[in-house]
Amino acid sequence: MTSTLPAVTTPQVPAQRQPAPEAGSTGRTAPPKRLRTSRPDLVLCVVLLMAILVVQGWNIAAYPTLSDDEGTYLAQAWAVQEGRGLAHYTYWYDHPPFGWMQIALLTWIPSLISPDSMTVGSMRAVMLVVGGISAVLVYMLGRRLSLPRWAAGLGMVLFGLSPLSVVLQREIFLDNLAVMWTLLAFTLAASPSRHLWHHFGAGIAAATAVLTKETMLFVLPAILVTMWRHSHRDTRKFAVTGAITACVLIGLSYPLFALLKGELFPGSGHVSLWDGIKYQMTRPGSGFILDQGSGSYGVLQSWLYYDRVLPLGGLAGALLLLATWRWSVTARALAGPCAAVAILALVAMRPSGYLPAMYIIQALPFLALVLAGGTASVAHAVLRKGRLHPAGRYTLAAVLALGAGAYVVPRWYDGARTAVTADANAPYRAASKWLSTEVERPEKTRVLVDDALWLDLVHAGYRPGNGVIWFYKADLDPAVTKTMPRGWRDIDYVVASPTVRRDAADLPNVKAAMEHSTPVAVFGKGEDRIEIRQIQTAGGTR
Amino acid sequence: MGIWGDLLLTSVFIAVVSLALFWMAAFTLWWQMHAWRTPEVLASTRFSRPDGGEHLSFSLLLPARHEQAVLDHTIQRLLESGHADFEIIVIVGHDDPETTEVAERAAARDPRVRVVVDTHEKKNKPKAMNTALPHCRGDVVGVFDAEDQVHPELLAHVDHAFRSTGADVVQGGVQLINFHSSWYSLRNCLEYFFWFRSRLHLHAQKGFIPLGGNTVFVRTDVLREADGWDPNCLAEDCDLGVRLSSVGKKVVVAYDSDMVTKEETPGSLMSLLKQRTRWNQGFLQVYRKKDWKQLPTFGQRLLARYTLTTPFLQAFTGLIIPLNVAIALFLDVPVSIAFITFLPAVTALVTFVFEVVGLHDFGKQYGLRVRFVHYLKLIVGGPFYQVLLAGAAIRAVWREQRGRNDWELTSHVGAHLNQADVIREDVPA
Repeated sequence: MTSTLPAVTTPQVPAQRQPAPEAGSTGRTAPPKRLRTSRPDLVLCVVLLMAILVVQGWNIAAYPTLSDDEGTYLAQAWAVQEGRGLAHYTYWYDHPPFGWMQIALLTWIPSLISPDSMTVGSMRAVMLVVGGISAVLVYMLGRRLSLPRWAAGLGMVLFGLSPLSVVLQREIFLDNLAVMWTLLAFTLAASPSRHLWHHFGAGIAAATAVLTKETMLFVLPAILVTMWRHSHRDTRKFAVTGAITACVLIGLSYPLFALLKGELFPGSGHVSLWDGIKYQMTRPGSGFILDQGSGSYGVLQSWLYYDRVLPLGGLAGALLLLATWRWSVTARALAGPCAAVAILALVAMRPSGYLPAMYIIQALPFLALVLAGGTASVAHAVLRKGRLHPAGRYTLAAVLALGAGAYVVPRWYDGARTAVTADANAPYRAASKWLSTEVERPEKTRVLVDDALWLDLVHAGYRPGNGVIWFYKADLDPAVTKTMPRGWRDIDYVVASPTVRRDAADLPNVKAAMEHSTPVAVFGKGEDRIEIRQIQTAGGTR
Repeated sequence: MGIWGDLLLTSVFIAVVSLALFWMAAFTLWWQMHAWRTPEVLASTRFSRPDGGEHLSFSLLLPARHEQAVLDHTIQRLLESGHADFEIIVIVGHDDPETTEVAERAAARDPRVRVVVDTHEKKNKPKAMNTALPHCRGDVVGVFDAEDQVHPELLAHVDHAFRSTGADVVQGGVQLINFHSSWYSLRNCLEYFFWFRSRLHLHAQKGFIPLGGNTVFVRTDVLREADGWDPNCLAEDCDLGVRLSSVGKKVVVAYDSDMVTKEETPGSLMSLLKQRTRWNQGFLQVYRKKDWKQLPTFGQRLLARYTLTTPFLQAFTGLIIPLNVAIALFLDVPVSIAFITFLPAVTALVTFVFEVVGLHDFGKQYGLRVRFVHYLKLIVGGPFYQVLLAGAAIRAVWREQRGRNDWELTSHVGAHLNQADVIREDVPA
């Protein structure tokens, strides 16, 4: 039997030097060392998780409307599964491929059991796994950042049940996967054991998040802040350098991949990482977010349409925590999420930047934690610090809680009811059914569609790539345009979904196809209708 | 088969080699960073503060050979120790009158110093210490080298460590300190830092430990029971540790930067190579003696096997990693395979970064100023040091094969020799 000198906790060696507690961490209630063995935490977390899964999962295929992006990621995942490369068309370094490689992995077993289920609507189910893990991580992170149990639970509820979250987390977006990895990085960075390899793992998880969706780069400083606060003076330099090294090395695997394929730098006849990055950096800006009429303002309004509580309340929570930095222990404990919210808010305010609708996904967990932390701070101030009589304090707290509930619950109830009952995708399903049954020889037919339907048509027997054509590619991918020497005349149908109608203006071939076609079937009404348009060549249909 | 078969075979071969190297490098890194895993682990690697009670008596062995220049100073410093009950036994050779004279003078001045003369025809350190073992009167035998700078409070701490942990063996820290002397001394110092500061504690915890050559303390009865040191082993200190831990003796390691025994690196590249050859050969001998096979668990035996063969694996790794990367870049293997070939290089890079941080910590711990140029030397010197280690490993295998297991240093020891060459070859790492 041999061993090192007993650790500090062993009573045999009372004179052993105690590791000094970190400055600034005094006065915090220590979170339990192992959440796994804490029954109240487990019960609360499981109950909330069930509620979140029910609300997010019920009716997931029918609401919200299928988006072209979801279809693209899933089609790329399908290409990975089928061994067709990294995308259903030429992969051009638009995003790192790791995101849909994970989707490919998640959908692999379901697609083995039922190949036809590899469509956007049915495969949204795998996002429940991602959303569920993220929600649990929000709870764990909240606890590790010293939030009381109820506040960590509140954070989890805000993150999982806000109507905005429900809509966005149901969709097959890379951002949702990236959020999961980022939360894992935060949770590891705040590891109560302050283990070197947990911090190293945080670096790996952070790099994975960035490789899943590159916009997660913005959040990296916030992870570093969390790690700095949670590491110990004596081991910090090893932990932090280790994490940064891990993050950089894993991150470098993407350029290394491009290098190994000979596609790092631009050259004739091949795509390159350089061009991909250049494209993303020079995307036309969508204007200042507060400037009415700008694209960014529209995006902001679309978020606020679903929920005001989480985005605006979260921002207010962040401001409150920043303002009370000097006095509030909670504010300092939540430095990481606060920094994440601050950075993401500032980035969204760039007047020249491009603000995609999914942008807010990466902010959701931090908005939720910061709002929960702000609430905990207010609760603490009301219950513990005020000069009021105890009965008065509790009355005040109850009034505040009831007021907040009265504002939030009806709105969220409406949001949740829409999410579990609305059917936004009937037109898509009908269009898919029509093209599967009404077209006689799908293998000989060429259709322009948006990606939300692409896999449906592949399963219906259309040739992937040049038979069923993702409409952008009819103008932008030389490999596809080469097969259309006569332009729109080489196409048989256009499925004019809202996305196709919106973007056709900038795509000559698609625009011409729209102009030289007539609807043969229309599903839905108004803006959201889907038309199946047959091309009219001069000598009649081919 | 054809070209595809060849490519497949190459790919599989490269992948297997890369993964093996990766796991080896990853485990080594994992162990090297043991002490910094958590703040609690780091705190537990230190000596606990003595309680003031001193109940053990010490016999401190001080083998000295042609070391008349430094011996007296070392004895004086040992005598300044705050501990109440110890004796110093200086072991000198019968053919070394200069050192004997210094030792006799010290003995005349202070009754706590005694001199034992080693009359073996062929001399080495284990023989010298075995000669002195019957003369030891203390409860605990401690070993120092003639040029060691020993901290006056060390004995009190060791005394406390024995009593508070019930240990049979206490290994204190040894640290090379002259990192600024040359590019290789920089790396040599850092090797000691990672070994005594971190890795050795893991070995103690796992129950398999190759001991160091000095600042090591063993209960006298345990040492006698084990028949002292193996006079035919080139790494007698490592061997003792392996034998004691294999029969379940409790070993405790403690490292305190104020309390370490400070030493200097070998004076020349050649003497470093010779020293390293001897250790490697010694490790090989210990491996072949198979005492470690008595270890009770499979994991311990695996650790023993791995640790004792590390010098050779290390040599192999150092040569294979660059080759592997070259294959990935220039041979037309699939991208996934190419990725796997980078894994060992990635681990090596992480190790590199931790070494840089280790150098910073080393400077902080010892209040030494580490300049930018030292970090540069550390990085640039890395590959060359690998070559040196590989050379020593190959040399060790070659010498062992040819049955040359004499102590290389005894063959060239002479009065003319710079003593730095003599004294610094006795510390295993």
